[in-house]
Amino acid sequence: MAVASVTQAGIVGRHHEEPDQLYVETRELRVQGFLLFMVSDLVLFSSFIFAYLYLRNTGQGWPPPGAPKLDLALASINSVILFGSGATMHFALENWKHRNFTKFANWIIATIILGAMFLSGQIVEYAKISATWGGSGIFGAGFFTLTGMHGFHVFCGIIYLTVLLLQALQGKYTFQKYTGLTLGTLYWHFVDVIWVVLFSIFYLY
Amino acid sequence: MEGISATVAHVERILAFIFGIVVFFVAAIALKNDWKSKGLENQVFKMMLALLALGAFLAILASVNVLAGKGVEI
Repeated sequence: MAVASVTQAGIVGRHHEEPDQLYVETRELRVQGFLLFMVSDLVLFSSFIFAYLYLRNTGQGWPPPGAPKLDLALASINSVILFGSGATMHFALENWKHRNFTKFANWIIATIILGAMFLSGQIVEYAKISATWGGSGIFGAGFFTLTGMHGFHVFCGIIYLTVLLLQALQGKYTFQKYTGLTLGTLYWHFVDVIWVVLFSIFYLY
Repeated sequence: MEGISATVAHVERILAFIFGIVVFFVAAIALKNDWKSKGLENQVFKMMLALLALGAFLAILASVNVLAGKGVEI
């Protein structure tokens, strides 16, 4: 009930604010700045990915002795959950553009839930691997560093989207001024796309 | 215990296959709808939606064991 009233008040507020000149002039710069941040993150992931591929291909065959078997079925459903969250986030932004706040809120909540489900799946997979795996080596260095780093990005993304939702509920964004929501959607898509690469190199290659 | 694990894996594969198809088509349709949109961030969105569709497609292939790397449990 409280959320509904806030929502209703927010919608009323959102219709009446036109973007000011400063916003119009700086919007593109802010988007570019965020894209630069994403490029720097991409470089970080790329360096670890290429290091892993290099080590994997210069070793004595793959998988190394003692490495556990990865669960492809669990990884597949977990991947679909994360890719599905990319779709729900896309719907959230589209509904904001079409001025439907309730649907926006529902889709962004669905995204947060799916992100949390992905992280839970990853924890289950870590537990399964830990139960059968002896210790260190190329496998551990590559798999846990990359998937752990990605998992941390998903965790940060969940917090990011939660903050965006709370800000939207408080009326911080209007239907004309919503760069923050666009950037949040970009970030979430980025996290999805990184997983496409990680899923391919760990489970399909 | 092994029987339960096999059943769970089977259910996971079926769910991954079904939802993978859903996500693939959703991403493809979203990409089609956004195709003519302009602006820097929309170009990035289009690229990411295409990669999302690719990821869903890979997950579908993995769910039916068409694609499976070395060192995975099939």
